[in-house]
Amino acid sequence: MARIRLDMTMSLDGYVAGPRDGVDEPMGVGGFRLFNWLDRRDEPGPNREVYDELMATRAVVTGRRTYENAGRWQGDHHDGVPIFVLTRTVPQEPPPGSVRYVTDVADCAAQARTAAGDDDVMVHGAGAGQALLRAGQLDELELHVVPVLLGQGRRLFDHLPAEQVELELVRRLTPPVEDPAQRVIHLRYRIHHR
Amino acid sequence: MSKVRLYMSMSVDGFIAGPGDDAEHGLGVGGERLHAWLSEGGLEPGSYRPTSGPSAAVFDEMLATGAVVVGRRTFEFAGGWGGDHHDGVPIFVLTHAAPSTPAPGHASYVTDVGSAVDQAKAAAGGRDVMVHGASAAQALLRAGLIDELELQLVPVLLGQGRRLFDDSSPDQQELELLRSLEGPGVLHLRYRVRSAG
Repeated sequence: MARIRLDMTMSLDGYVAGPRDGVDEPMGVGGFRLFNWLDRRDEPGPNREVYDELMATRAVVTGRRTYENAGRWQGDHHDGVPIFVLTRTVPQEPPPGSVRYVTDVADCAAQARTAAGDDDVMVHGAGAGQALLRAGQLDELELHVVPVLLGQGRRLFDHLPAEQVELELVRRLTPPVEDPAQRVIHLRYRIHHR
Repeated sequence: MSKVRLYMSMSVDGFIAGPGDDAEHGLGVGGERLHAWLSEGGLEPGSYRPTSGPSAAVFDEMLATGAVVVGRRTFEFAGGWGGDHHDGVPIFVLTHAAPSTPAPGHASYVTDVGSAVDQAKAAAGGRDVMVHGASAAQALLRAGLIDELELQLVPVLLGQGRRLFDDSSPDQQELELLRSLEGPGVLHLRYRVRSAG
C-alpha cells in the first residue's frame, strides 16, 4: 500500500518559511534561504536521489495555504499526478488541472493512497502535515534540515496535541557539497503509530 | 582555544521538555523520553553515561568541559545538581536577579550574559565551556556568544512543551554541520555557528 510521506525543507530551528508568508511572498521574509540546497538537486548523489524520489510519488496532498501560496502549481505539481488539497471551504470555481478539493482528512488520505497505488504519496505544507499527523495518517517524514536558524516564521511542527509519537530514523543522507550555503542533511523517519 | 558549546537533547519537533515542566518534573510530562539515549543514572550527571559508541563519546566530551553556563530555571529544575555538575567545575547560573543566598557548591549567580561567558572561559582554562538550558541558549545565541551547538536529536514528536528555539529575532544565523553521529536511539548533530568564527 502507498506510504504517505511528509516532505519538507526545514531550518534547524524548525521553520519552513520565514515570517509573513503569503501569496506575494510564499516563503516569507528570508525563507527562500531554505531552498538553496535545491540548486544542487540535479547533481549525482543524495540530493538527486531525494529529489527523484519526490518526483516519483504518484499523488500529492497539500494544505490550502501552501497550495494558494504556490500559485496552485497551475494545476500540475509533477507529471500530472492528482493533487489533493485539504480545505475547510471548497472554492466555487472548478479546480485547475489534476487538483481535487477535499474537506475531510481521513477521506483525503484514503483517496491519495488509492490514487498512488503501489507508489508513495507526497505531503507538502505544514498545515497538511499537522492535520495528517493529528489524524494518524502520516507514515514517514522526509526532512531536509538546513543549517540555518531563521529565528521566526512558520513552524513545521505546531498545533499538535501533547501526545508522544515515536519515530525511527531509517535514513540519513549528507550530500558532500562545498558551498556551506547549499548544504543540507536529509533525515527520513518512519512514524510508529500506537 | 576554548569553545562555548550548547548541549541539549531535543525532539524532532524541537522540544527540550514536555509540557508542565517545573521543579518537581524537570523535563515536564513525558519529557524523560528525551533522555532515553542515556543510561539509567542517579544523582550525579556522570552516572548517566551511555555504555558505548558515539553516545558515550559525546557524553565524555560533555563531561570534559571546564565550566558550565546554565539558566536559573534549568539549574533549579535539576536541583542545582547538588552544586556539582561534573568534577567540581564552576557553574555560572544566569539570572535576572541574584538571590540573597549564595548558590550551592561550585555554582555562582551571574546577571550579565557576557560576563558569564567571560568568567566561564577563564575558569575553563583552555577546556571547552558547556551551555545547558533553552533560555541560556537563547540568551547566548542572541549575544553571539555560542560557538557550537551539540544537539542530541531524539526520534520522537512530543507535540507540546518547551522549545529549544523559541521565536526570537528574524536575523538569520548561518550554521555549519561539523559532524553527525548516530547512536542507538539518537542522532548527534554538531553545528558551528558561522558568524562566531
